[in-house]
Amino acid sequence: MASNATHYNDLKPAQPLDKKTLNKMVWRSLNLQASFNYERMQAAGWLYCILPGLEKIHGNNKEDLKLSMEHNLEFFNTHPFLVTFVMGIVLSLEQQKTDINTIRSVRVAAMGPLGGIGDAIFWFTLVPITAGITANMAIGGSIAGPILFLLIFNGVQFAIRFFLMSWSYKLGSQAIEIMTANAREFTRAASMLGVFVVGALTSNMGGTTIKLEIANGESPIVIQSILDGILPKMIPLALTLLLFFLMKKKNWKPVYCICLLIVIGIVGGFIGIF
Amino acid sequence: MQFNAIQIILVAVWAFIVGIDQFDFLESLYQPIVTGAVIGAILGDLQTGLVVGGTYQLMAIGNMPVGGAQPPNAVIGGVMAAVFAVASGLETEQAVALAFPFAVMGQYFVTLLFTAMSPMMSAADKLAEKGDTKGIVRLNYLAMGILGVLFAIVCVGGLLGGSALGTTLQEFSDKYQWFMDGLGAAGGMMRFVGFATLLRIMLSNDLWGFYFAGFAIAVIMDSIEATAKSTLLLTAFIGIAIAMYDFQTRVAIRQNAGSGNGGGDEDGI
Repeated sequence: MASNATHYNDLKPAQPLDKKTLNKMVWRSLNLQASFNYERMQAAGWLYCILPGLEKIHGNNKEDLKLSMEHNLEFFNTHPFLVTFVMGIVLSLEQQKTDINTIRSVRVAAMGPLGGIGDAIFWFTLVPITAGITANMAIGGSIAGPILFLLIFNGVQFAIRFFLMSWSYKLGSQAIEIMTANAREFTRAASMLGVFVVGALTSNMGGTTIKLEIANGESPIVIQSILDGILPKMIPLALTLLLFFLMKKKNWKPVYCICLLIVIGIVGGFIGIF
Repeated sequence: MQFNAIQIILVAVWAFIVGIDQFDFLESLYQPIVTGAVIGAILGDLQTGLVVGGTYQLMAIGNMPVGGAQPPNAVIGGVMAAVFAVASGLETEQAVALAFPFAVMGQYFVTLLFTAMSPMMSAADKLAEKGDTKGIVRLNYLAMGILGVLFAIVCVGGLLGGSALGTTLQEFSDKYQWFMDGLGAAGGMMRFVGFATLLRIMLSNDLWGFYFAGFAIAVIMDSIEATAKSTLLLTAFIGIAIAMYDFQTRVAIRQNAGSGNGGGDEDGI
């Protein structure tokens, strides 16, 4: 369980990360989704990606390394091709030993919006255009088709990954002066934004619906549309609040919550709710 | 068509690689256009592989893994379509249709793995508590390895069992559809545990309003077609404006309070 510490023990800023470590993390960022799962999505992969940096930053203080690893294992999901942007900013905050709540909030606020941007760049633009052209070359029997596809796609991908890493790491370092001069106010504002984004995620990423119907002659009563009439995305909101309550007030561990959801899911699947 | 041992091993290796590649590595090797050519080359008919791969790619363009939604697994679809086209000389459309049950099976394995990896996160928490960096690295590689092996098994199964196995798989998956539906629904709900964990730490009592405000704005944008794709970006704009306003106001208040109470430097002029 994540501990409730809000500050690192050693508040002295670490040496800025060198180019080699940053590059190493760009390479690791390819495997962001290695341990993808439904609960925390890319969380453990995210931690894996930034570990080389964290080890450098908190190398002198094992307790701080543990703290950092714990809070970087919380829910994380962003666009896999744009993740180095979040990495750069978070690492610059870690390097300055910023307040943990601030790092968490900045991380959450940065990861959300990237999803839509990445989809637009890669899946709606780059792949359809490149694949459209090269697929016809392949159908014509040319081996250049797949080769060209790989070269273009990965050329763009790596350029973006490396550029975002160095750019956002610098950006984070520059913004830090303003932050530290008004640390308490900044932490509060960042938390506000973080909570706001989690609220948006609850609707945007919450897709749970039920297909329960009550037989009523010609026009069956569809429960989901009644729920939507009261409040759209009511189920995602209710479930999030329920789980929040169970964890905060009843001290449930995430594992218990997952087991509960699996039972709900399978029983619901059996009786035809989902 | 009979396959020799080397061909079977090479297909298994490629299936292992692209099984992982669909989420990691280059995230482009798995595309049918590449996979078709590779499988064609392995089975000794590069030309057919290229044609099948290209055709399937055009079919799959409208089927990208957008926003984390899973397509009927294009990875196994690509491998098996190429296998069937090369081995049985089928047209691409027919080969893709024969590959379908295997693609469904591959998707089931992905769902199962993503579900099974969720409780594993508690083990990851323990590793983090101990500061075990190597453990975290191993956990990630292990999960990648399992995914690759599962995909290799499905593809080798398809190679040896052919379309007959496909029919059996289809019947099996139809029969247990409710189970996978339920598991899929549970998978879709598990992210709420992740959200709740974040809120548990971030949400002090005076911030509740912002949680509901973010939710409300996202609900509105999600339901408008023109803004649905950029919901998170647009909500972030609004959130940033609110947060910046709060930041600037509070900084100003503190600075004024400082000069008023204590008689700051300016007062001494």
